[in-house]
Amino acid sequence: MAFWTLYKREFTGYFHSAVAYVVLFGSAVVQGFQFGYILQIVTEDNYKDQSILQIFFVWPLFWLLILVQVPLITMRVFSEEFKLGTIEMLLTAPVREWDVVLSKFFGALTFFLVLWLPVVLDLTALQVFSVPPPPIYWSQIGLTALTITLIGGFYVSLGVFTSVLTKNQIIAAVLSFAFLFAIFGVSLQRWVQHTDATLLEWVSYISAPEHLQNAVLGIFDTRPVVFYVTVTAFILMLTKSILEGRRLKG
Amino acid sequence: MIEVENLSKTYSGFRAVQSISFHVNKGEIVGFLGPNGAGKSTTMKILTGYLPPTDGKIRIAGYDVVTDSLEVRKRIGYMPENVPLYTDMRVNEFLRFRAELKKVARRKIKERVETVKHLCHLKDVENKIIGTLSKGYRQRVGLADAMVHDPDLLILDEPTIGLDPNQIRSVRDLIKDLGKHHTILLSTHILSEVELTCSRVLVIHRGRIEASDTPANLTKLVRGGGSILLEVRAPSVDVISKIEALPNIEDVELILPSDGEWVQAKVFAKPGLDLREEVYGVVRANNWPLRELARVKATLEEAFIELTQD
Repeated sequence: MAFWTLYKREFTGYFHSAVAYVVLFGSAVVQGFQFGYILQIVTEDNYKDQSILQIFFVWPLFWLLILVQVPLITMRVFSEEFKLGTIEMLLTAPVREWDVVLSKFFGALTFFLVLWLPVVLDLTALQVFSVPPPPIYWSQIGLTALTITLIGGFYVSLGVFTSVLTKNQIIAAVLSFAFLFAIFGVSLQRWVQHTDATLLEWVSYISAPEHLQNAVLGIFDTRPVVFYVTVTAFILMLTKSILEGRRLKG
Repeated sequence: MIEVENLSKTYSGFRAVQSISFHVNKGEIVGFLGPNGAGKSTTMKILTGYLPPTDGKIRIAGYDVVTDSLEVRKRIGYMPENVPLYTDMRVNEFLRFRAELKKVARRKIKERVETVKHLCHLKDVENKIIGTLSKGYRQRVGLADAMVHDPDLLILDEPTIGLDPNQIRSVRDLIKDLGKHHTILLSTHILSEVELTCSRVLVIHRGRIEASDTPANLTKLVRGGGSILLEVRAPSVDVISKIEALPNIEDVELILPSDGEWVQAKVFAKPGLDLREEVYGVVRANNWPLRELARVKATLEEAFIELTQD
């Protein structure tokens, strides 16, 4: 019950801030531009063996967008509470630390998913205005959505974690961008020449682009699911301990 | 309602609160007095479960603050110093959110929010964004938030700081009114406020409780609860020696500079005694012309300064 109350406040809170609208607008523009551009290539070069989604989600701009979006969404979740002192008011209400951490995490994750709604609109438009309409593969779309949610969960948890470390939103954003970029950078190994095969195998365990590539093709792999769920849970546990620690320190 | 035993709090080597014990009974309005940095806010934060104590036992409404924190927090309305609020929310929205968070029954939320808005005179700003409100209104929103779940105990950290005299008066009246049904612990610097609202005062200094009594009794502690002001025309040496010769006199102090031949003196008697008659006896026996003989009541301010001076 406390979780639900806090979650509603977290999620609606995004729509009270200018930053959120800027991110929403920027995301829609970038996604629309990318979608249109890819659509043009696909039609002009008459691609037959790749769907538009397959190209969309390996496009570098897509990943750059995610790496920028997440820190901007999550930077305020705890930092602002520490800065305004509202954390004291929040934690002296009858709520558990878990309620607070989880509501902030799910609130941010929901907003992250809202940021990807324009792609759904783009795809719907494609469906409606194409003659004949392109075929729809629901399992692949569902799998893609699930994988984006899992990756988003992992990245958002990292952002929430950096936000609990400092009362300065800018520091929180820069830190989470650095963490995210370091983790994402590992997956770039795939495109480096002369990389060791065993290393690549390890890389594939944590490489988000590879996971998403498989999902778009309709390949369901449980390893990434387990990976994202455990890592996210671990980071959230860490966040909760640090929240407690900061309070105990006074 | 509040039972504190040997509470201590140490921040990285600094002992903010040192083994304090006190009780607050149901229905009391207790003022927490002390200079800046005395440990008032720390103690309040510990009572609300926000900070853990380093040592000691605290029970609120029968629940342990450390082990039954959630139960305690349900029964406390806390207004922190400087009143932190979500500045992006509207007053109505914020109060409803807080009521829901504090587990007010769903069908009662509307009624409770209306009640506290009425009590704190927030009706005319109910749809305003908190960030645009003045300090006085924010203070009242904080107070409304503290009361929204109708708690047994209100803990208010500096409820009137930063308000103008009219607002101070209205908050004071509100607190007095609330005291009829709630137990209240409030901290403040403003001594007149304590005298007007509180049934008991706890004076805390350097992390220790220096005194716990009614405001009236506290003032009696100050060198006999007051002194006698005397102004006569006589040699100052005579005045001192003859009055000091009386039984039960602790001290005679001259107030300088003297006005020509007139000597002004402050006479301190032993605690609880009124020696005006005896002093007048001395004046009459020596045939000193008398211009003033009056009892000066000690103020709470004097008590406060005496208790908290090093």
